[in-house]
Amino acid sequence: MNAIEIRNLTKSFGPKQAVSGLNMTVPEGAIYGFIGENGSGKSTTEKIICGLIHPSGGTVKLYGKDHTDADVRAGVGVLIEAPGCFPNYSVWNNMMLQAANLGIKNAEQEVVKVLKTVRMEGAASNKYKNCSLGMKQRIGIAMALLGNPSLLVLDEPINGLDADGMRIMREVLVDVTKNGCTVVVSSHILGELEKIATHYGIIRGGKMLCEMTAEQLEASCRTYTALQAKDMSRAKALLACKYSRVEQDEAGYIRVYDAPSPEEIVTHLYENGILVSEIKTDKIGLEEYYIDLMKEGK
Amino acid sequence: MTRELKFDSPSFVQRLKGMLGVDFYRLFHTPLFYIFLAIAAVIPAMILGTMGAEGAEQLYTNTWHIIAAPTPLYVVNGIAEYANMNMVFIFGGIMVSVFIGHDYKSGYVKQLFTTHAKKQDYMISKSLTCAFAMACMCITYLLGAVGAGLFAGTSFEINVGSLICAVLGKMIMSLGWASLYTFLNVIFRKFFGISIASSFFFGTGILIIGAAAILGNNSLLNIFLYGSSVYACLSANIVTVLVCLVCSVAWAVIYNVLGTKLLYASDVY
Repeated sequence: MNAIEIRNLTKSFGPKQAVSGLNMTVPEGAIYGFIGENGSGKSTTEKIICGLIHPSGGTVKLYGKDHTDADVRAGVGVLIEAPGCFPNYSVWNNMMLQAANLGIKNAEQEVVKVLKTVRMEGAASNKYKNCSLGMKQRIGIAMALLGNPSLLVLDEPINGLDADGMRIMREVLVDVTKNGCTVVVSSHILGELEKIATHYGIIRGGKMLCEMTAEQLEASCRTYTALQAKDMSRAKALLACKYSRVEQDEAGYIRVYDAPSPEEIVTHLYENGILVSEIKTDKIGLEEYYIDLMKEGK
Repeated sequence: MTRELKFDSPSFVQRLKGMLGVDFYRLFHTPLFYIFLAIAAVIPAMILGTMGAEGAEQLYTNTWHIIAAPTPLYVVNGIAEYANMNMVFIFGGIMVSVFIGHDYKSGYVKQLFTTHAKKQDYMISKSLTCAFAMACMCITYLLGAVGAGLFAGTSFEINVGSLICAVLGKMIMSLGWASLYTFLNVIFRKFFGISIASSFFFGTGILIIGAAAILGNNSLLNIFLYGSSVYACLSANIVTVLVCLVCSVAWAVIYNVLGTKLLYASDVY
């Protein structure tokens, strides 16, 4: 069964069409990386999934049931933008209030458990307003984890986190999926998302450009050969004449995309009097794949 | 790993219990509640403090006139006639606006409505919590009136039964008023200033006072919140309490249904 199944979803705010005919399928147990530019419709889609806003058209099913079904909603944990906490209350009190709303029986034990999960047990007595951005994000995750949800919907959860915070967040998300939880996570930090996501959905202009598994992404990512030579500008010009796509990356390497073999490149440059000092082959990551896709779209 | 999925949401009673627990916790832990209780207690003293003013002296020879008018008086001839326990409903409206406004400002509603919480639970919980707060304000107003009366040395002569019925009637009306304010705050949830202004506007009962200016002291006005609140006067009896109860509950149901429908029909956050 799919955790989320969206068909022909549309949402307009007055004359502005935020989501138009979006289809989305999130398999159970997946960590679904939901990617798109600012204003592409990610947050709107997530808010619709979470029942915060009404779709203008289309269907949203969670575990085969309508997304507004109260029974299904009881199994959904959410972090949309910032967590909904009262700033003057302590982290603990905010968590306990949410536990009360969720009707959790062993509330204290449950709150301790989720705070430990996000490594926030030491900050339980802090006032929420005194917490750092990173701490607030982790509190939001902890709140979403209350009640052992089957589905987590997280909007930009790693924004504002430091390196350690990101690592913790990765570990938490991987841990919860081990228990059968499905996670939909949107983020602009694609390098982090790539480390954990099992599925991807790329949205643009309110439409789903493509959905794929991590394996499919891996297979469709272009290979490139990166090299350094003594005369970089001449080497680049020579390679550009022979290969369709040659670029210089931020580290100063010349990248030749989809080249048959490094040997061929080395030979070609050598025959033209240029010695290669360093050469390696690699694949582009999610970030570059995404940027390429966006360029193609344009 | 997949796990067996169970989709059981808590019953209505469980949901409401949880939500009421949160709302009452918030109410008792917000300084705003105690500030408004204090304001309600101070108002009678302020009214009696005007006794030295010209023309005000004769209106308040009896302390209980600060609680309610001697007879149902929908047409107000002077601002002093207006000054009684009904003012609690104006201040109560502002308190409810701030209380509910904070739900939206903090993002609490977002956290709430993404779970199993239903819109009607929210309306009921807010109405009941705010009705309780306003009923408490009625009590502190009463205590403040007694204190102010003792201090000013005004008469305490009254039919105790009628006084109890009048105060009880006004306290019962808190439910209807709280539901109205909750509804107004749901309508203007994205515009905090308008929420407060609308609560103040309706709380003054200006529409009923205006209608009374045209219709005169017509008992038909009792079907409205302000009308029933005025009807709970110092000549009140058990019928008055019943009228207040029926009116308060009826309007509470109407506003809760309307608020629920509005929340279901519109984007929450």
